[in-house]
Amino acid sequence: MTAPVPLAVRARDVLTSEWTKLRSVRSTYWTLLVAVATPIGISALVAVVLSHAPGKQTPVDPLLPGLISQEYAVLAVGVLGVLAFSTEYGTGLIRTTFAAVPRRRAVLAAKAAVIGALTLVAGEVVAFASFALVQAVLSGKHLGVSLSHPGVPGAVLAGGLLLFVVATMGVGLGSIVRHTAGGIAALVGLIFLPAILGVLPAPWGARIARFTLLDAARQVTALHPATDLFAPAASLLVLLAWPALTLLAAALLITRRDA
Amino acid sequence: MIEVDQLVKRFGVVTAVDGLSFTVRPGHVTGFLGPNGAGKTTTMRVILGLDAPTSGTARVNEKSYAGLIRPLHQVGALLDASALHPGRTATAHLASIAQSNGIGRGRVAEMLRLTGLEAVANRRLKGFSLGMKQRLGIAVALLGDPPVLMFDEPVNGLDTEGIAWIRQFMRALAADGRTVLVSSHLMSEMAQTADRLIVIGRGRLIADTTTAQLLESSTRSDVLVRSPRAAELADLIKARGATVKPEEDGGLAVTGLDAPAIGDLAAEHGIAVHALIPRSPSLEEAYLDLTGESTDFRAATP
Repeated sequence: MTAPVPLAVRARDVLTSEWTKLRSVRSTYWTLLVAVATPIGISALVAVVLSHAPGKQTPVDPLLPGLISQEYAVLAVGVLGVLAFSTEYGTGLIRTTFAAVPRRRAVLAAKAAVIGALTLVAGEVVAFASFALVQAVLSGKHLGVSLSHPGVPGAVLAGGLLLFVVATMGVGLGSIVRHTAGGIAALVGLIFLPAILGVLPAPWGARIARFTLLDAARQVTALHPATDLFAPAASLLVLLAWPALTLLAAALLITRRDA
Repeated sequence: MIEVDQLVKRFGVVTAVDGLSFTVRPGHVTGFLGPNGAGKTTTMRVILGLDAPTSGTARVNEKSYAGLIRPLHQVGALLDASALHPGRTATAHLASIAQSNGIGRGRVAEMLRLTGLEAVANRRLKGFSLGMKQRLGIAVALLGDPPVLMFDEPVNGLDTEGIAWIRQFMRALAADGRTVLVSSHLMSEMAQTADRLIVIGRGRLIADTTTAQLLESSTRSDVLVRSPRAAELADLIKARGATVKPEEDGGLAVTGLDAPAIGDLAAEHGIAVHALIPRSPSLEEAYLDLTGESTDFRAATP
């Protein structure tokens, strides 16, 4: 091989390789099934409960049930992300991977990209399906909102980001921690521990909550955003900063450590 | 060609590789020998850019591994045959690695055929025996048809048939003009496969030689002499500056003087010689002589 290989071709090669890895193991299908079925199922349940609720009882925010249901899928896609690296470190396959692609950051980027794409699609499917289920019931009571309502398409679309955010963060953590159980523990810690601090008395609760992943996610999807948190646009940045910073840390470490 | 120059690799306080230099040339099977823990695997990992050297360099085809683009076309390696995802099929495993270097499906199928894994191509790897995993590892190493190949303890855990297959395979690759480096901690294994030997112990180079030379240069080669006038002959031999060790059965073990010289000496003095046998040690003994000083963990002799 003396002919130079264009960067775009090499990028496509690594992406294809990681895509093959992702779709050739069963855990991918199981975690995705859980990630999609759980929130849609919960949304259906919420819809049923709402439809039997007396009169004008209404959720705080018509979009909130759709997002909360997704929070139950967070762990599944988080595990999917962590596994991308942790199984390779666990089995030793990572050495074959890095021997084939010495540019380790390309491997990190490719894994984050294929898992990110898959969970983004899954997240949007869930977001719109949950929206449709919940609103179908609420609109029967004239409490719902439609997709044509200003701000609604953007909020639902942003809600679909949650799974993508958590999964790509999992990829970064799997690369940093190199261990499945440890990676999942780190993921759970980063997502839920700051949320616990949110119960501190005012104003500290909100000051911390505005930076937490789950509160940021609720804020970007809220039709009536909370006033003590960041505005939705800034909250979107907070939400995306979590995986971005994790992947940045992973990128810095991945070339410094022995495989 | 593989060039290792003044390589040092420390893990904390442990020095795994300690100033190692050697060159592996094409056209031979080169054995990379040393006791367990001598630094063979670490050296191979550094060559593949997996571990960063503390100091020194390792180059493949005059380039550093990290700078290689589509490296599977340059170097094929089998480090650990069990390093695979148990839930993936053999085809998916090979294909995912092939794709990362722009190698097509046709080559994947060809490698499965070459290593005799066609029939199990679509089975999940958790059902594979160690022998099948070794074959799959070799298929991975050969995917890019590379001029340089490295195998780390490839016959570990294989049955006789598998060992014979791998030996013949490695020799064929070298005969093809490729550079083949095979590590082992067993001299007997290397004696039957390798033409050249790089022997290391405690991370240092002990010998860089041919298999034949290693035998010759061993301190254990001597000449067994039997004579009815052994004591007299022993004195004459000692006078020539050679060393004589009496054996239990009355024979003399002579080092430092070869068999023809001893025969001539005896004839000059009219001494009858009943036996004159040049003895060379087995390769195993020669290897133990070399590495005896450098074994990290030695079992106590009861």
